[in-house]
Amino acid sequence: MKKLFQGFCMFLLLFSFTSLAYAQDEIRIGVIFPLTGPAASTGQVLLEGVRLAADIVNTKNNLNMPLAKTIGLPNLKGAKIKIIPGDHQGKPEIGMAEAERLITQEKVVAIIGCYNSGITATASQAAERYGIPFVNDSSTSPSLTERGFKWFFRTTPNDDLLSENFFHFLNDMKKKKKINANPIALFNENTLFGTDSRKYQEKYAAKYGYPISGVVLYPAKSTQLTSEIQKLKSYNPRIVMQTSYIADAILSMKGYKELNFAPDAILANNAGFIDPEFTKSLGKDANFILSREVWAKDLALKKPMIKTIADMFQKRTGKSMDGSSSRAFTATIVLADAINRAKSTEPAKIRQALLETNMKADQLIMPWDGVKFDAKTGQNMQGKGIIVQVQNGEYYTVWPFNLATKDVVWPFPKWEKR
Amino acid sequence: MKKGLIALIIFLGALVAFPLIFQDPFPRHTLIMIMLYAAMGIGWNIIGGYTGQVSFGNAAFFGVGAYATAIMLVNFGITPWLGMLVGCVFSVALAIIVGYPCFRLQGHYFAIATIAVGEIMLLVFTNWEYAGAAVGIYMPILPESFMNFEFHTSKLPYYYIILVIFVAAIGVCWFFERSRLGYYCRAIKEDPDGARSLGINIQRYKMIAFSISAIITSICGTFYAQYVLYIHPTSTMDLMMSIQLCIICLIGGLGKLYGPVIGAFVFIPLTELTRVYLGSEGQGVDLMIYSMLIIILAIWRPQGLWAIFTKGTAK
Repeated sequence: MKKLFQGFCMFLLLFSFTSLAYAQDEIRIGVIFPLTGPAASTGQVLLEGVRLAADIVNTKNNLNMPLAKTIGLPNLKGAKIKIIPGDHQGKPEIGMAEAERLITQEKVVAIIGCYNSGITATASQAAERYGIPFVNDSSTSPSLTERGFKWFFRTTPNDDLLSENFFHFLNDMKKKKKINANPIALFNENTLFGTDSRKYQEKYAAKYGYPISGVVLYPAKSTQLTSEIQKLKSYNPRIVMQTSYIADAILSMKGYKELNFAPDAILANNAGFIDPEFTKSLGKDANFILSREVWAKDLALKKPMIKTIADMFQKRTGKSMDGSSSRAFTATIVLADAINRAKSTEPAKIRQALLETNMKADQLIMPWDGVKFDAKTGQNMQGKGIIVQVQNGEYYTVWPFNLATKDVVWPFPKWEKR
Repeated sequence: MKKGLIALIIFLGALVAFPLIFQDPFPRHTLIMIMLYAAMGIGWNIIGGYTGQVSFGNAAFFGVGAYATAIMLVNFGITPWLGMLVGCVFSVALAIIVGYPCFRLQGHYFAIATIAVGEIMLLVFTNWEYAGAAVGIYMPILPESFMNFEFHTSKLPYYYIILVIFVAAIGVCWFFERSRLGYYCRAIKEDPDGARSLGINIQRYKMIAFSISAIITSICGTFYAQYVLYIHPTSTMDLMMSIQLCIICLIGGLGKLYGPVIGAFVFIPLTELTRVYLGSEGQGVDLMIYSMLIIILAIWRPQGLWAIFTKGTAK
């Protein structure tokens, strides 16, 4: 029993090491990502995106980007940004605890995170309670900005906006290329991602006047999809909107070929269709798929700054930049710029500065029209997705037309003619 | 016996005093998670430890408790305390529905069946539109009060609520251990055929133990929902959680009153502290140390940590 008590004392002792004091000339920003657990590799990439942005702010760089040309934050006597990482491991209660720890013990002035929508939900609640600005870089669940939070800002477009993009694309096709294709059929996996996507697909199909001839939901872990594809085929769609993870995306493409199913277009919700594995394992059968994306390397052809940043990222990490790291990077720049304009580390002033953010498209490495937050929801209203198409095994931006590097191939060629 | 009582009083006294000494939310949060898992571990121990029916489906009760509370609060504005009660009723109902056919299964087959039940519940809630489907449920932010079971400025009320739940779970288990029911259950674990030959209605007592386990776990689910204020199927019904409960009991000592308590006091700080001090660079070192400790323990003290404290006298 004595040992039990001793054990408890040891345990108390452990906690007494947790509080430390910090220097004033650095701006501490908390970053919460899934650094271990199932999404660990993405978490690492996100963190590197944030770190690259912090380095650009802290050193002198010749880029057309806020704070790049100066050292540190000029309005705060050149104070440098320090990134304090936290790991949420994909668990909501840990995300919340990490936010609280960063705020109360690490004394961060703002938080960036958390990738997984479910964890952004709880971590941002903690920030809201403490009155600390929370900038969300890459969670796309629309409900996050519908909570009426005062301290929550989201730079990335959400699923609602991204889903609507497909219909903007179809309308543009109608206007500019005189292509009018319907009906649409939906082919989605049956968990969060697929069911949520269906909601928006149906909403906007109705709004933009595209009839839906049928919906097929399937379990993502299926080992064969033949009967589902036959059902899909029976709806005679000219456009298939598909939401799949990687294994089922590959499986469905093989099934389409086998059953000789070739609608005019397959519009995919990123995920499985933009996984590097997709083109690798399907080879030329992956061609002509259209997928929504948030970022693409070939955007650099229209915006040279993207190439500079992507090269810096490649040099640092040995990995190529992607939609996750570019969004984490952008959120960090937006936040640093706001802190600089606030001329203070007071949360209320940073929040005010965030509300006044008005970044232009040419200062960003994203395909967005700019960054400007809606005062009520905290959503960036100028975010925008792009549509990429696989051509010769590579992804090319085909929409919006002003950023396109290749012309869209429409319709999807018949299997025997490719 | 006397010595044990004194130790228990010192231990509880330390728990009561802890948040008064440590004002930061992080240590308080860690203790809250420890007590939450300890209480759930006690719940698991009643069916898995004492009765010997290994359940990998206890997360389903946790989820039912959390969801019952959330649905009633969001859709009908009913206080979470009543939601807690309703959650218990549904959990017991689920325990009976699951237990009735599954307790006819022997040994490992029961464990396998509970995995299936847990996964079925996860799938049902992932696709059930009314319960928020895969997105889950955001609890409304209400004014702080005991009736609303929401406290935003301090973790102190949450801390004492879970302390009460935790102590109550120990109390229930203490009575269970000494009651006729407890003896029956241990008899069922040791030798089901022998127990039956002595006239024990095996089916019935397994069911009662499973229901007690369900109630404790369900109450913890309600607490979790009110503490985190956002629930979704994978955070409340994951198979991983059921496995964690099993590990906590195994580390501490299976079928011992303080087994899960010791297990949770080792398991949770280990995950929390290694994550904070080693894990923020994301190299996964924390998880490696953590799994190594489990392996060492499994070889060195397979009876669980409880055996260390009782100097090996425990069986």
